Amino acid sequence: MAAGTGALKVSVISPEATLFEGQAPSVTAPAFDGEVGILPSHAPMVTTLGKGVLRIGDGATFTVEGGFLQVVDDVVRVVTEHAAKA
Amino acid sequence: MAKGRELKGRIKSVENTRKITRTMEMVATSKMKRAQDRVVAARPYARALADVIASLYNPALAERFPLLRQPAQESRAAVILLTSNRGLAGAFNANLIKEARALIEKLEKAGTNVELHVVGKKGVGYFRYVGRDVAVARTDITDKPTAADAASLVESLMARFVSAELDAVYVVGSRFNSVLSTPPTADRVLPVEPPAAKGAQKDYLLYPSAEAILTELLPSYVRNAVYRALVETVAAEQAARRTAMKNATDNAGDMLNLLRRTYNRARQAQITQEIAEIVGGASALQG
Repeated sequence: MAAGTGALKVSVISPEATLFEGQAPSVTAPAFDGEVGILPSHAPMVTTLGKGVLRIGDGATFTVEGGFLQVVDDVVRVVTEHAAKA
Repeated sequence: MAKGRELKGRIKSVENTRKITRTMEMVATSKMKRAQDRVVAARPYARALADVIASLYNPALAERFPLLRQPAQESRAAVILLTSNRGLAGAFNANLIKEARALIEKLEKAGTNVELHVVGKKGVGYFRYVGRDVAVARTDITDKPTAADAASLVESLMARFVSAELDAVYVVGSRFNSVLSTPPTADRVLPVEPPAAKGAQKDYLLYPSAEAILTELLPSYVRNAVYRALVETVAAEQAARRTAMKNATDNAGDMLNLLRRTYNRARQAQITQEIAEIVGGASALQG
């Protein structure tokens, strides 16, 4: 997966199931200290999440609490124990 | 024809039993498929967690995390035994109990004080029968275990491990390798065995810090280990029940064949005898 191809591969994973899997141009997540926006070609990052709303592109939104977000090579994984479709 | 009627009764009874076992087999098959889906659905989460923990973990950090504390001697340990709430699953529960007993014996021989936590009516019933003290007995976990169930099982144990009241926590459950291979296994969930890092390490930006992330993720990792054990044990239970009921159905079929053959033979013998009597009577009259 080359960096900067213009789309992020996003997945939202809870212990019970993978809640979302797909492409999106951007992700906005509630990090522990405030919202964080992810665009393609982001540097590899791991951050813990707080409580709030996760937005994937213009489409799906989830309410999440706790867990973490991992970005590597335009693959975004949101891994949290408490996630629900909003 | 007293014997014939008796055989007929038994044939009916075996037919009814076979109907029940066949139904149970089909129910177990469909439940197993759903449980299997849950096992598969739980994998990405476990993989993602293990991945990140492996990339953050280094031995220098280990000393600062109570969950990674490696006690030199296990003086108090907890064993969580997962069994099913229902029977008729062949040797499934017996195997799990055997595994747990072997583990307890091994620990006690090493001088460890073992407290037992049992999930499932079958395990609870067994240990009540042999009169062993059970610290926690839970029968409220259904065949659709949730992450919250796992958390409620292990949360207090984690707190006690952190405060050094416990030195180890084991989970005895069934691993679901495949439909035909569901061996009982004993896994140590505490202290946490950090997953081995594989592949090239990425240089991550870490927010707020490696320590803070690990503080959050290690408890999740432990909860998830218990959740995985719960889900796999449920899937294994259904697989065991399916096999047991399939065998019962097959055996009932064999028994029916035998009974029907015996019945027909008896019926034929009786008819032959009747004919012989009639012929004998007729020839006596003609005589």
